[in-house]
Amino acid sequence: MRKPAKKTEKRFTPQKTQTTPFHPRTNQFNLMQNWDDWAGYLAANVYESFEKEYFAIRNQSTLLDISPMCKYRIKGPDARKVLDRVVIRNVKKIRTGRVGYTLWCDEEGMTIDDGTIFRFGKQDFMLLCAEHMYSWLQDAAWGYDVEVIDESHNICGLALQGPTSYSVIKEAGFKGVETMKPFDLREVEPGLWLSRTGYTGDLGYEFLTENKNALKLWDRLWKAGRQNWGLIPIGLEALELVRLETGFIAPGVDFQAAHAVSRVGRGRTPFELGFGKLVDFNKGHFNGRRALLEHQKNGKRYNLVKLDIEDKYPADSSYVYVGKEKHIGFVTSAAWSPTTKRNIALAELEAPYGDTIRDGIWVEVYVDKEGKWYRINAKATVVDGSFFSNPRTRQTPPGPF
Amino acid sequence: MSHSDKFDVIVIGAGHNGLAAAATLAKRGKKVCVLERTNAIGGMAQSRDNDGTSVPYIAHLLHNLNPTVVKELGLSSAIKLKELPTIALDPDGRHIEIAGNKAQYTDGSAHPDAAIYEEIRARIIKFGQLLEPMAARTAPDLSEGASFAGLPELMPLAKLGLKMKLMGKKEMREFMRIALSNVYDLILDDMEDGVLAGSLAADSVWGMWTGPRSPGTVLSLMYRYCTGGQSSLPIGGMGAISHAIADVAKNNGAQIRTNSAAEKLVVEDDQVTGVVLKDGTTIETKAVMSSAGAFQSMMIGGHENFDVEAVRRLRNVRSKGTTAKVNIVLKDVPEIAGLSDSQMASRLLIAPSAYYIEQAFNAIKYGEMPPAPVIEAVIPSLSDTSIAASGKHVLSAVVQYIPYYLEGGWNDKARNKLTKIVVDTLSKYAPDLRDKIDYTETLSPADIEQETGAPGGHWHHCEFSTDQMLAVRPVNLLARYAFGIKGFYLCGASAHPGGDVSGLAGRNSALQLIKDGAAS
Amino acid sequence: MGKHDKYDAIVAGAGHNGLTTACYLAKAGLKTLVIEKNDMIGGAAISRELYEGWTYSNCSYVCSLLRQEVIRDLELPRFGLQVVPYQGSVSFHEDGGYFSSYDDHHAFRREVARFSEKDVDAYDRYSQLVMRQCRFIRPFLLRTAPDPTTLRPRDIGELIFLAKRIHDLGQKEVGEMVRFWTMSVGDFLDEHFETPIIKAAMAGSGIIGTGLGVYSPGTAYVLLHHYMGDVDGSIGAWGFARGAMGAITKALGAAFKEAGGEITMGSGVNEFLIKNGKVSGVALDNGDEYHAPIIASNMDVKRTVLKHIGREKLPADYVRSVERFKIRGSSGKLNIALDSLPKFPALPNDNLMFSGDMSCSSSLQNLEMAYDDWKDGRFSKKPFFDMLIPSRIDPTLAPPGKHMMSVFTQYCPYDLNVDGVRSPDNWNEATKKAFADSVYDRLEIVCPDIRDRVLHAEVRTPLDIENEVGLTEGNIFQGELTFDQLLFNRPVPGYAQYNTPIDGLFIVGSSTHPGGGVMAAPGANAAREILRRIGKGKSMPDFNPKIAA
Repeated sequence: MRKPAKKTEKRFTPQKTQTTPFHPRTNQFNLMQNWDDWAGYLAANVYESFEKEYFAIRNQSTLLDISPMCKYRIKGPDARKVLDRVVIRNVKKIRTGRVGYTLWCDEEGMTIDDGTIFRFGKQDFMLLCAEHMYSWLQDAAWGYDVEVIDESHNICGLALQGPTSYSVIKEAGFKGVETMKPFDLREVEPGLWLSRTGYTGDLGYEFLTENKNALKLWDRLWKAGRQNWGLIPIGLEALELVRLETGFIAPGVDFQAAHAVSRVGRGRTPFELGFGKLVDFNKGHFNGRRALLEHQKNGKRYNLVKLDIEDKYPADSSYVYVGKEKHIGFVTSAAWSPTTKRNIALAELEAPYGDTIRDGIWVEVYVDKEGKWYRINAKATVVDGSFFSNPRTRQTPPGPF
Repeated sequence: MSHSDKFDVIVIGAGHNGLAAAATLAKRGKKVCVLERTNAIGGMAQSRDNDGTSVPYIAHLLHNLNPTVVKELGLSSAIKLKELPTIALDPDGRHIEIAGNKAQYTDGSAHPDAAIYEEIRARIIKFGQLLEPMAARTAPDLSEGASFAGLPELMPLAKLGLKMKLMGKKEMREFMRIALSNVYDLILDDMEDGVLAGSLAADSVWGMWTGPRSPGTVLSLMYRYCTGGQSSLPIGGMGAISHAIADVAKNNGAQIRTNSAAEKLVVEDDQVTGVVLKDGTTIETKAVMSSAGAFQSMMIGGHENFDVEAVRRLRNVRSKGTTAKVNIVLKDVPEIAGLSDSQMASRLLIAPSAYYIEQAFNAIKYGEMPPAPVIEAVIPSLSDTSIAASGKHVLSAVVQYIPYYLEGGWNDKARNKLTKIVVDTLSKYAPDLRDKIDYTETLSPADIEQETGAPGGHWHHCEFSTDQMLAVRPVNLLARYAFGIKGFYLCGASAHPGGDVSGLAGRNSALQLIKDGAAS
Repeated sequence: MGKHDKYDAIVAGAGHNGLTTACYLAKAGLKTLVIEKNDMIGGAAISRELYEGWTYSNCSYVCSLLRQEVIRDLELPRFGLQVVPYQGSVSFHEDGGYFSSYDDHHAFRREVARFSEKDVDAYDRYSQLVMRQCRFIRPFLLRTAPDPTTLRPRDIGELIFLAKRIHDLGQKEVGEMVRFWTMSVGDFLDEHFETPIIKAAMAGSGIIGTGLGVYSPGTAYVLLHHYMGDVDGSIGAWGFARGAMGAITKALGAAFKEAGGEITMGSGVNEFLIKNGKVSGVALDNGDEYHAPIIASNMDVKRTVLKHIGREKLPADYVRSVERFKIRGSSGKLNIALDSLPKFPALPNDNLMFSGDMSCSSSLQNLEMAYDDWKDGRFSKKPFFDMLIPSRIDPTLAPPGKHMMSVFTQYCPYDLNVDGVRSPDNWNEATKKAFADSVYDRLEIVCPDIRDRVLHAEVRTPLDIENEVGLTEGNIFQGELTFDQLLFNRPVPGYAQYNTPIDGLFIVGSSTHPGGGVMAAPGANAAREILRRIGKGKSMPDFNPKIAA
C-alpha cells in the first residue's frame, strides 16, 4: 500500500490518457489521428486506411501494438496450482515454452474473461487478457506460495501478423523461429519473448518485452519488413474484422464479462460460448467447478454461434428469428468478410437453437440505401469452425508467405 | 499413516455444538467420532478445577439452551438448572431485582417503570418465540423460488407470515416497526434511561461488536429471548451441560477423542473421505462436521477447495471478539450494600444505563478498553453447593466491550489493566471485594481465541448482525451447513442460528447432513 | 383572498413534494390551493439572495434524485429548470494529499492506483454491487409501498411484484442484497478497500443527513440512497440546478399555476380542521380558513400530527408510532459568499475537481469519532463536510470573479449539549460561532485562506433549519433512512400509503416512501393515491418501472 500523496509529490494528472512505449512510432504513422481508448491507453483505430490495413493482414504482414493488454505474471512454487485454480482447462498440459488459450469463471460458472497463458518456465507464467484481473488473481492466490505481479504497464507487446510475417522475422535476424509451431513460445533473444500466436487467425507472432526495448524492436521489424514484405501498422478496426473472420469472441461484445456487468443474468458459461471442450473436470477443484457441473447437468441456456447470412448487408445489432417470427436471439458481431466473400456474424441464440435446432433461422437486417431504409429478412446458416481458415496459419516451418 | 476404522461422521471440536451434532447423529444410528484439540471437552462451556475450586472457565450462565435440543437429546433429566433472578446494580444503591418480566427494587418497593418494562420484555419474548422456529431449522433456500420444488423451503416462511397475521394487524405492525430497529430507541421511547433500561439494553449486545444504538440490536435481543429470556445456573457448572450432551453421544456409540487436533480433510474428487490429524494419523469417514469458526473450517477443508469468492467472503467474516472473562477467586463472599445473602447469588449486572453501555462501546471502535465496562457477574457457589467444597468462591465476570484488536496488542500489562478495570468497577458496588480476592484469572478475547479456537474469541464465532444472519450466515451461499466440499458441514456458532449455548447450530447441521444423505 | 374559500384540495407546505402533489392534483382538474408559511415557495429547495449579488441554495444544494419521470411529465424544463451535471470530486488528506474521482473510468483507475493497485479492481467490484442495488430499487421509487398486514388485492399485487423482483435476482444476489441493505458502510468499504482515504471519501454518502455513524448497520443503504438518482440516465450522477435549487420549486410552482392552481404565502397552517374523523379544511396562523375535502400535508409526519392536529382526534397507537418516528437533526450548513476563489495548495491549478464535491476526512475512524461527538449532543470536533463551489459551473450565482460556497456539515446536533444539558435552547450566537469555527478549521486544511475570502456567511444549525423550513429537528430527510423507517414502515406501519387515520388527510413529504432528498417521488406517489381515492387514478401517468431499471 502506498502512502497518501504528499504535497511534494510530482503532480500527476490521471485524466490524461496514457501512451504505450510504441507511441513515438504509432503516432508518426497515424495519419488519420484516429485514436481509441483501449484500457486507458491511446490505441490507433485506423492509421491510414481501413481497407489497406485489413488486406495487409491477409496478404502481407502487419504490426499491431498490443501493449494495452492486461499482463499478469504469476511466479513461484504454487504458480501452476493458482492458475489451475482460476482457469477451466488443465494448466499442467501447457508445457514450458507453450501458450494456451483458456476461459475462467466465477463461482456461478459464468465466464469472467478469456485469454492466453504463457508458460515461461516450470513456475513462471503470464496471463494475457482484456479485463483487469489483478485483484481477482490476488484473491485466487491467497494462501499460496506465489507472486502475482501486474506487468501491464512494464511489459509491452507487439503482434506481427500476416502471411509474410515469418519472412519478416527471418529477415530481422531472429534465429530458430522456423521450428516454432503454433502456440510455441521462446525467448528468442535475451529479454525478448516470441510466441506463435495472434488474434487474426492468420500466420503470425507476438513479441513481449520490457518497455525499454520497444522502439528498438519496432525499428528492427520495420526495417526488415517494410521493403520486401509489405509490412504496415494496423489499427483496431482491421483487427476487429479479422478476429470475426476467425470466429474469435470478444468480451463486452460477444459475451459479457461476469465482473463487468451490473445487470443480473448476463453471465454465460463456457459451454454456452462454445468452449465446453476446454473444461477439465478431472484436474481437481477450480473456480466455478461445482456450478459448471450443475450447468453441464442442466444443459445450456444459450448458444453463441457463427452465422453465415445470405445477402450482403452486415447484420449488425440484428434480431435473430426462427420460423414465422419467433425471436430467439440477436447478433453480437457482424461484418462482410472480404476474404471469404461471406456475410458473417456471431449471434447468441436461446438453446437449443443453433445446437440441435438449426433450420429456419433468419435475421432481420435494416439497411440504409441513401436515406431510405429497407428491412431485409435474410436466411442464416449456423457454421461450425471458423469462417476463415488457411493451412499457412499452421504450417511448420512456415512458408515465405 | 495408520488406518483405524471408518466412521460415518467425524465431528471436529467438542464444544457444545459439536457435541450436540454428535449426539444428534449418534441417536440416529450414525457412527460418530468427535475430535477435540484440547484435553477437555466443552469449549467455552466448561468448568475447570483450580485446586479444588470449580471455576466456570468462560461461559457461566445458560440463557438460551434450546428446548427442542433438550427434548430431542433427552437432556432434561441429566441437567439441573437453577433459574437466577437478575440484580441490576445501581451506582446509587437503588438496585433492581428482575425475575422473569417482573422488576422491582431489591428492597421490594415498586419501580415506576415496572409495567412498561414488563410490556416491552414480554413483547420481545413473544416476537422471539415467533422467530424461534426459524432458528430451529436450516436457513431458508430461496433458489427454487415459488416453484413446486421450492415449496418445502417456502413453507416455514409462509408459516411465519401466517403466525404474524394471526397476531393481528396491530402486533404485526409493531413487529415490522421494531424488528430491524435499535434497542436504545425501542427502550427509551417508553422508559427513562437508567438501571432498568440498561439491563434490557445489555442483553441485546452480549458478545457483539455493536452498541445499543446500532440498528439490528432489537433482533439480537429477540434471539436471546427466543426461549423465554431466563438466565439459569447449571448445577455442577457449565461443564455439566457439555458432559450431559457428551454422555448422550457416548451412550449412543459415539467416540470422543481429546488431544486429537484435526489438521486437514482428505478430499477425493470434491468429496470428503477422511481427516488427517496433527499427529499424521488419517481417519476415514463419509462426512465431516466442523464446529470451528467458518474461516478456520475453510482452512481445515483446504482453501483450495473453495471458490475464490467463497474464500474472499470467509476472510471477510466479522468476528472481532468483544467479551473478556475475569474469574476472581475469593477467600470470602463480598458484600454489596442493599443486597441480601440470597440476592448476592443472583446474576449481577453492571449496566446502569443504555447510555453507559453505548459509551462503553465507543472505546472498542478505536481498539481501546472502556474505563467503565459492562459486566455480568455471578458467584455460582452461592447457588450450587456441589461446587462449594473448597470453601472458596469464584466471582465469575463476563466483561463486555473488551477489544480483540487492542491498540498495542494483548500482553500481561494489558491483561493486568483489564483486571484492574474490572475489579475497580466491581468495587464501586462491593467495596470490600479487593480484600477478599485470593487470585484472579483474566482471559482477553485473544486468550479465549487461543484457548478455544473461537475466531477473535468471539462469543458467536461470527458477529451476530443482520448482515451475517440466516441465509447469509456465516457467508452468502454457504448458509445451509453444507460447506463447499461434498460431505463437509459447518456445525458451530458461526453457522445459523448463531452463538449462545443453545445447541441449535450443531443439532440443525446434523439433521441437514442426514437429510442430504451425506453419511449414508 | 376570502376567509372561507372552498377548494377541491389543499396542500400545506410548498416544498418540492407539496408542489409536485399540487401539480398533479391541479392537472387532474382539482381546484387546488397551496399554503406556504414563508414568503416564498420552495421549502428546502430554495434560492435566496442573502447577500447582495449572491444566490444561495441555503438548504439542499445538489440535484440527482429528482425523478426524471416527474421532470418530464410536468415539463419542468419548459418552466426554466435546467440541471447541469458536474464531474469530479475530491477528498483531501490532512497531510496535504488528496484523492479525487473522475467520471472517466480509466482516469479514475489511474487515480486509485496512486494509492493501491488492489483498490483499483476493488472499486469496479464495489460499483458493480452498488449499481445492482440501484437497479433493484429504482423501479420502487415511483410505486406505493404495499401494506403486508392487509389482504387488499392491490397490496398483495405489490407484494408479489416485490417478491418477484427479489426472486428474479437469484439466491446469490438476494444474499448480497440482504447484506448490503443491513450492513454498515464502514464494514462494506472495509471488505472492498484497503486505503483509508479512499474509504473515507466513499463513506460520506453513507452518513449525509443521518443520525448514524459509518460503523452503524444500515448506513450502506444511506449510501445507496445517494447513488440511486441520475442525471439524464447516468445513474449516480449529480448536478446543479441552474439558478440554485430554488429553480426546481420555481418551475414546479409555475407548472402548478399554469394548471390553474393557487398559492398563498406568508401564513402557515395552524390547525387541520377535523370533524368526525374527516378533514374539512385548514385554519391558518393569520386566522384565515380554507376548506377542502382533501388536504395534503407536505410537512413531516411529526409536525403534521403532533403540532397541527390535536392528538385526541387520532388513535392513540398512531400518535405513539408517530412520536417514535425518528427525525433527528444531524447536519448543519455554512453558506459562504466569497470575494474570490480560495487557494487549494494540494490541487493542480484549475482542476476539473473544483466543480465537484470536496471533503476532508482521512479515515473511517475519524468519521466515526465525529459521530461519537454527535451522539453525546455535541457538534463534531472534526466534522465531515461536503463542500461545493457551484459558482464554478453556474455563473448566475455570484458576480463575475466572485464565488458561492456551500458547506454541508456532519455532525451537528439539534439538542446541543452544554454542560450536560441537552436542549435546542443551547443554540445561540456564541455556540453557533463555535460550530462555524469548527467547520472553518477543517476548511483551512483544504484552503488555508478561506477565512480571508469570506464576505458573508450564513451558519445553519439544525435548529435554524427547523425554524425556517419547518423540518422537525432540521432533519433533511424528514425522517431517518434506517431500514425500520423505509418502505411499508415509512412513516408508520399501516399508514405508509400517504394516508392517515383522518379521512381525506394525506402526508406527501419525505416522511413517506421513498424518503428524503429532492426526489419528488413521495409527492408524485401521494398524488396518485389521492387521485385514486376520488376515482381519478387514471389521470396520473403510469411510470413504467422498466424505464427506471
